[in-house]
Amino acid sequence: MVDASRVALSGLQVFQRALATTANNVANAGTEGYTRQRVDIVSRPTVAFGDGFFGSGARVAGVQRIEDQFLNSRVQLGASDVARLDTYLNLIQRVENVLSNSQVGLDSALQNFFDSLQDLSNNPASIPARQVVLSNAETLVARFKDLDQSYNDINQEINTRIASDINEINSLTSSIADLNKSIVQALATTSGESQPNDLVDQRNLLLERLSERLSVNTVELSDGSVNVFVGAGESLVVGSNSRNLQTINDPAIPGQLRVGIDVGAGAFDITDKISGGSLSGVLDFRAEQLSDIRNQTGRLAQVLASEFNAQHIEGFDTNGAFGTNFFSIASPQTLANQNNTGAATVTTTITDFSQLSSSDYELSYDGVNYTLTRLSNGVNISAPAGPLNIDGIQVDIVGAAAAGDRFVIQPTSQGAAGINVLLTSTSQIAAASPIRSLESVANLGNGVVTSPEILDVTNPDLLDTYEIRFNAPPTTFDIVNVTDAVTVAAAVPYTSNANIDFNGIRIQVQNQPEAGDVFTIEQNSGGVGDNANVLALLGLQTTQTVGGTATLQEAYGALVSKVGTVSRQTSISSQTQQSLYDSAVEARDNISGVNLDEEAIDLVRYQQAYQATAQVIATSNTLFDTFLGIVSRVL
Amino acid sequence: MARIPTSFIYQKTAIDIAQKQFDLAQIQNQIGTGKKINKPSDGPAETARIIDLNQAIGRIDQFQRNSIFANQSLGLEDATLSSVNNLLQRVRDLALQSNSGSQTDETRRIIQAEVKQRLEELLDYANGRDGNGNYLFSGSKSRTEPFSETATGVVYNGDQNQLVLKISGNRSIPASESGYDVFINIKNGNGDFVTSSNPSNLGDGLITVGSVVDQSVFQANDFTITFTTPTTFDVVNTTTATTVLAAQPYVSGQSITFNGSEVAISGDPQAGDQFFVNASRRQDIFTTLQNFITALETDPVSAADQAQLTQALDRTISDVDQALQNVLNIRTFIGTRQNSIDTANLENDGAKFELQSTRSNIQDLDYAEAITQLQLQQTTLQAIQASFAQVQGLSLFNLLR
Repeated sequence: MVDASRVALSGLQVFQRALATTANNVANAGTEGYTRQRVDIVSRPTVAFGDGFFGSGARVAGVQRIEDQFLNSRVQLGASDVARLDTYLNLIQRVENVLSNSQVGLDSALQNFFDSLQDLSNNPASIPARQVVLSNAETLVARFKDLDQSYNDINQEINTRIASDINEINSLTSSIADLNKSIVQALATTSGESQPNDLVDQRNLLLERLSERLSVNTVELSDGSVNVFVGAGESLVVGSNSRNLQTINDPAIPGQLRVGIDVGAGAFDITDKISGGSLSGVLDFRAEQLSDIRNQTGRLAQVLASEFNAQHIEGFDTNGAFGTNFFSIASPQTLANQNNTGAATVTTTITDFSQLSSSDYELSYDGVNYTLTRLSNGVNISAPAGPLNIDGIQVDIVGAAAAGDRFVIQPTSQGAAGINVLLTSTSQIAAASPIRSLESVANLGNGVVTSPEILDVTNPDLLDTYEIRFNAPPTTFDIVNVTDAVTVAAAVPYTSNANIDFNGIRIQVQNQPEAGDVFTIEQNSGGVGDNANVLALLGLQTTQTVGGTATLQEAYGALVSKVGTVSRQTSISSQTQQSLYDSAVEARDNISGVNLDEEAIDLVRYQQAYQATAQVIATSNTLFDTFLGIVSRVL
Repeated sequence: MARIPTSFIYQKTAIDIAQKQFDLAQIQNQIGTGKKINKPSDGPAETARIIDLNQAIGRIDQFQRNSIFANQSLGLEDATLSSVNNLLQRVRDLALQSNSGSQTDETRRIIQAEVKQRLEELLDYANGRDGNGNYLFSGSKSRTEPFSETATGVVYNGDQNQLVLKISGNRSIPASESGYDVFINIKNGNGDFVTSSNPSNLGDGLITVGSVVDQSVFQANDFTITFTTPTTFDVVNTTTATTVLAAQPYVSGQSITFNGSEVAISGDPQAGDQFFVNASRRQDIFTTLQNFITALETDPVSAADQAQLTQALDRTISDVDQALQNVLNIRTFIGTRQNSIDTANLENDGAKFELQSTRSNIQDLDYAEAITQLQLQQTTLQAIQASFAQVQGLSLFNLLR
């Protein structure tokens, strides 16, 4: 017969387990990654008696984790996106702070430099004014170098982040593989009946952590293990085995780390397959932003230096000598890939600074043609032999390359690091024009001569003394090189204010000179108070020298604005992704999280059921006592 | 029905409070700096504009500094030229005095001594320096003394350049005059031609300064009027070696016209006497003064001597007049430039104000709006905190005792 006390006992056991599970839920209300559990209570099989089927109590069928697999994968995906954008934002904000910091930013240094030139134009002979120009030039150069150093620091930080992300990933994948092993074993001992819930929770938590580093695909197998893949099919975890990632040196660009996956002998480069997670944030930032920002800064330095030098060498310093180069200019960097097998030597020179772009280039050889590709947009040119010309650079190839050889060409990357002030003394600042014009005191006419303009500073006879001698009648003139006693041009028809060009010089004569009138163009010796070349140098401040479309300040403004835009967009995307992630977590926790009120109700419910069941035992005990009493009296 | 995990209440509150505190910090930072754009990402396009505007404002500041410098430089020059003007007026008065018949050899000696004094004084003005030690009148050779005395007179060591300064985006002005233009580039005589008599003339004929009556036919040629007899003369263009007028009858004081010019000769010339009508040459002020001194050197004895002296003094007066006119012209140029500077300053001030208010519109904070925002954010934060205090007490466990 069905024994009420045995039935009640099963109930007691069931409710004890239910209470324990509720207690466990309450205890883990604050545990990260904990999924609430529920006891599945089922009735025990009924027993047939002559007058019907009688229940034999309850039993625990299993302890279930309450979860939705789909919501879990949404959380993982969200974690990847958030971590990627946070990393990207963090790095771009570093650059933003550097550029907008008035202590390091370029704009004030540029302004101060040009201001000091203006002050020099007021008083060209002043040694203090010249000293200020030199020290402001040094400050400007230092700002460029500070910026470059900041970019270097960020590049170093990127390498460190890659290495530490990889360490973290390796540790996570190894733990996931261990958990796989434990879960498979535990599942096997219950013949696949029930899961080791805490291990599964832990594994889910680690998968989420892994997703924060890089985006992964997971496949759950029937034995309870989860395989983890990165990109299209590179496995990180298969069953109880994990494969390590490792850093590899970029063969194309020294000093840059890439991500490889262990393939026994060596590593296979999977950098391009990484998407999502902090690792991809770092890699994407480096590829999309850092080199471009560095190149734009470098180009600014190179254009400033080249334009300034070109004008400076046209002037005369206080020693009465032509100006020398004011700034040094960094040469383009040509990097041969370490895997190259050919013997070609590639050199790059800048032919036109105004054409320079901020892109890097790749030169590749397919056995027949060399192809030079602008990496920013893939535009390329091909030729069977050098030199190749693109965007104001010329690439020369000496020796034979092997098919598949590659070279990275960075015309502007070293620009900011390589700018220096070459002048060492205030007297070397070429403020004056090298030549001057004057009229003869004996002139009868009212003709005047304009200040000479230099058309070709390299003309060897530029500094000779010339006379413009008017003939009788004064409708023509001769140009005579007095130094060499040579007539440069004879009987040139005279038009007032027309250009008179000879030997790299341009002047105009105005009004009406008389026969015999003479105008002299001669070396500007002693002209320390002349500011003609300073005025020309100042013109550079408002000339569109960068790419032919922007002044130096505008180009810097565009760079800051670009960084600001990227920072702002990334910040907005990051906030959007964060709220998507938050809502994914919320959706998951709404199902899997512990609600203490709910547990309180369960607690009361199971407690009352337990008390009721205990009461059944007490009742059946009383019944039995009653029965014994009757029997003892009868006997 | 949706269920919410207990931890979510805490998490959500933490996130909300963090977000509000971040917003508050942002507004506080804006209020602290007074700017709504504090870093490029606050407004990337605005940041580029601000950099451009800063540059434009910086350039205007510089133009204003240049203007101040130019004004000082021109002011100093004008003051010197004012002294030069007074000096030349005095010299002119002295020349007029010397020309009067009441002069004796003695009084002329006294005048000569003063003119010598004035010449030295003039040299001092011409070699004046500015506060930086640069010579005012040496052109670009600002460290070279412009005028020096030699055995043959005063020579100019400077050049003919001017210091050109930029005082606005599209306006440059010369902030200096070369010594050549001030002291040398002066045509002698009447500016077109200069008259003189041959020192060896026997008669007491005098030639007037004359003037050009017809510019269209005037040629800058040299002419000689030679008396063939005391009553007839020829006029020869010595530049072209052609006789312009032959055997003209002489009437004292009657005008003689040729080459678009008009002169008159008075007195009693002798046969063989010559008068020269030469195209004006540049003659520096020092030479003009030196000529005056030289003219006073010889005491007149004969009528012919007296005529020579008068001729020389007339010449001095006309040369000084030319120099005075030149100084006046240059001072007028300086005045015009100072006006240009004033105009440029007004323009610069206006442009700067425009640029500054544009920049202010872009980057400066609207305090009223910011403080409203601050209060709104504070209220929201307080509401979150207050509601959390309420909600976190709501647990069934509190009631199960």
